[in-house]
Amino acid sequence: MGDALGSDLISDLPQSIVESILVRLPIRDAVKTSILSSKWRYKWASITQLVFDEKCVDSCSDRDVVEKSVVKFITRLLFLHQGPIHKFQITISYLQSCPEIDQWILFLSRNDIKELVLELGEGEFFRIPSCLFNCKKLSRLELFRCELDPPLSFKGFLCLRSLNLHQVLISPDAIEGLISNCPLLESLSLSYFDSLALSIRAPNLKYLYLEGEFRDICLDDTPLLVEISVAMYMTDDIAEHFEQSASCNFLKFLGGVPNLERLVGHIYFTKYLSIGNDPGCLPIIYKNLEIIELNQVSFEDMKEILVVLRLITSSPNLKELQISGSSNIPSATDAPDLDFWEKECSSKCRLSHLRVVQLTDMCGVPHEMELIKFLLASSPVLETMSIIPCVYVVESQLKMLTELVKFRRASAKAEIVFVRE
Amino acid sequence: MSEASMAVMKPEMKSYIWLKTVDGSIQQVEQDVAMFCPMIFQEILKTGMGSSKTYAISLPQRVNPSILGLILDYCRFHQVPGHSNKERKTFDEKFIRMDTKKLCELTSAADSLQLKPLVDLTSRALARIIEGKTPEEIRETFHLPDDLTEEEKLEPLRNVTDDPRIRLLNRLYARKRKELKEKKKLKNVDIEEEPKDERSVDDLLSFINGADGDIKEMSANKNKKKNRRRKGHAKDLSLENVNENKRELDSVPFACHNHNVDNALKASPSKHSQTQDLPPMSFSPKLEFIDGDLDDELDPAMKEELDREVEDFARRLNSDWPERMQILSLGQDRRLVPISMNSNVSTRIFTGMG
Repeated sequence: MGDALGSDLISDLPQSIVESILVRLPIRDAVKTSILSSKWRYKWASITQLVFDEKCVDSCSDRDVVEKSVVKFITRLLFLHQGPIHKFQITISYLQSCPEIDQWILFLSRNDIKELVLELGEGEFFRIPSCLFNCKKLSRLELFRCELDPPLSFKGFLCLRSLNLHQVLISPDAIEGLISNCPLLESLSLSYFDSLALSIRAPNLKYLYLEGEFRDICLDDTPLLVEISVAMYMTDDIAEHFEQSASCNFLKFLGGVPNLERLVGHIYFTKYLSIGNDPGCLPIIYKNLEIIELNQVSFEDMKEILVVLRLITSSPNLKELQISGSSNIPSATDAPDLDFWEKECSSKCRLSHLRVVQLTDMCGVPHEMELIKFLLASSPVLETMSIIPCVYVVESQLKMLTELVKFRRASAKAEIVFVRE
Repeated sequence: MSEASMAVMKPEMKSYIWLKTVDGSIQQVEQDVAMFCPMIFQEILKTGMGSSKTYAISLPQRVNPSILGLILDYCRFHQVPGHSNKERKTFDEKFIRMDTKKLCELTSAADSLQLKPLVDLTSRALARIIEGKTPEEIRETFHLPDDLTEEEKLEPLRNVTDDPRIRLLNRLYARKRKELKEKKKLKNVDIEEEPKDERSVDDLLSFINGADGDIKEMSANKNKKKNRRRKGHAKDLSLENVNENKRELDSVPFACHNHNVDNALKASPSKHSQTQDLPPMSFSPKLEFIDGDLDDELDPAMKEELDREVEDFARRLNSDWPERMQILSLGQDRRLVPISMNSNVSTRIFTGMG
């Protein structure tokens, strides 16, 4: 059936294709297809992915009205929906916690939900109803600003592969339990937890993302970890607690991840790793570690520098290195422990795969220069080294450059790019 | 080519797979390229076909030769492992530029060959075409028939702030209108084609007189029954409130009644507010009736009574017809075609009852 121009191009395609198309439309447009023709009336109603964002209802100046209309919209849509719902995502900043959301989750728990993303507004945290823990097929869970309280009888999500908790109120025991009871967990992301002391046991974990104030993190059983990214904030009392700790944080954190491919650290991460006893020559070699990015490294703290060095020298296949400093304007009178470099870095050390180095926020402190010297001398295939000096130290830049040109380069191809604003 | 030169060339020679499209034409395709399609790959593995012309692999019906050419172009590019992601993206963007009809055929063919990356690519392109367009534009692009009635277009999700009872009422009446329209269409067809006309009029006459085994009869009977019940409920439902000006239409079949109510609703807000007073449960029984799921096996006595009533209505209809037409066409534009005046009583009854 069709009009004079030609036969219907699209209505007889299999439902899997129709779903494939409708799922790539904003939810409003997908629902609007129901008025196209009689065949299209309910095609939208069996799509398995429902994604709601700020644009799914008309905006208006009154926040309450918009909020009410979005709640109505979602409730009605769910009521008209037929069949399983595999993905349900709400990312709406003006939607606050309300009782209807409990009903939606209950509905989803009866419809084979596999991926659930709930990002509500900045109001009262939404308390996740217990029916969520009955979602046996859940494979991805992302919660923002919620309260999560697994019941005592909860045995874990057996299919969960990805967990992302951002500003979620949950007891440390509950998180540990949740993590260790999800045997297939591959990706874990925890953000904005306060003073969390966590021991992570996840034999299948591959991707770890942490951000917040962590008192103590221990990667107990994560042999398959491939990517780690940590942004660690520190309060004064956590710092104090660390001073007293004797255990080696480096080993506690990076001791059991031989398959690591990418490591990213921000803010106090390097400091965190530096706390505790010096591990000495590391018992572990990171054969696959190709990218290291450490930000806000303090080049006035010997222990932090040591962490950086240990990492670099234990990664024979390192390809890309990014370091950013956080030194204050150097006081020239300090006589740093420069012979440390001769001791630790033998001339035999070769970073035979290192191609790209980027150093940011460099102030020209002696240890920074020594690091650059070491890298240049040990990287036979180095292609680019970019140095971006710290914006506050205009005077020292010339001094830095003068020293740079003196350094011996192991790679004939190496280009040093000194970026001046 | 001589044997010797063939032998020299051997390291560069690729193996070929033979593919047959639904129209019978057979072509030769490089093996690497063809195997990029999971369906072909599996076919080769399972059955070993494709190695020669006589044993060419039959491709699914949705793959015609020109579309196959496009698909093979896609495969030929993407099966090369050396291309960067950026290059692949650029290729895809250019590849996708074709008219909508071809795009739909391509999607269908790629799906039947289980070539998921291409299905994703074409789906994305089709979604981009649909996004942001008005329904009319979408219908035009894809040649979709505009075969939904107004009633069906009353998308529940669009009228978010309406009173639910009003919408339910609208839906009800719209459905009745639709039935009416369909019956009219039937009737109009009757008029246009003479021989058919006779037959259908006979049919109508016969079922009015109580013939069995006719679907129309069943629905007409249901309608009659509905009217009976509705008459009984009329006082409870207080629909008369709405039609205070049209009291002579009280006993008119429900369909016409509806139009007036509908008009009233749309034309004047005051009447609108009157319907707000209607008790909330008033419409659910009606819904049941109209969905017509009731089992309406009438016994003969009942039938005769109904027939008599029908004839009464018919007479009334005939007498008030011009006036009624005016009332019907009041207010907003109606999609209804006015019932022609020269038809006989029985047909009018039929449509009136719809």
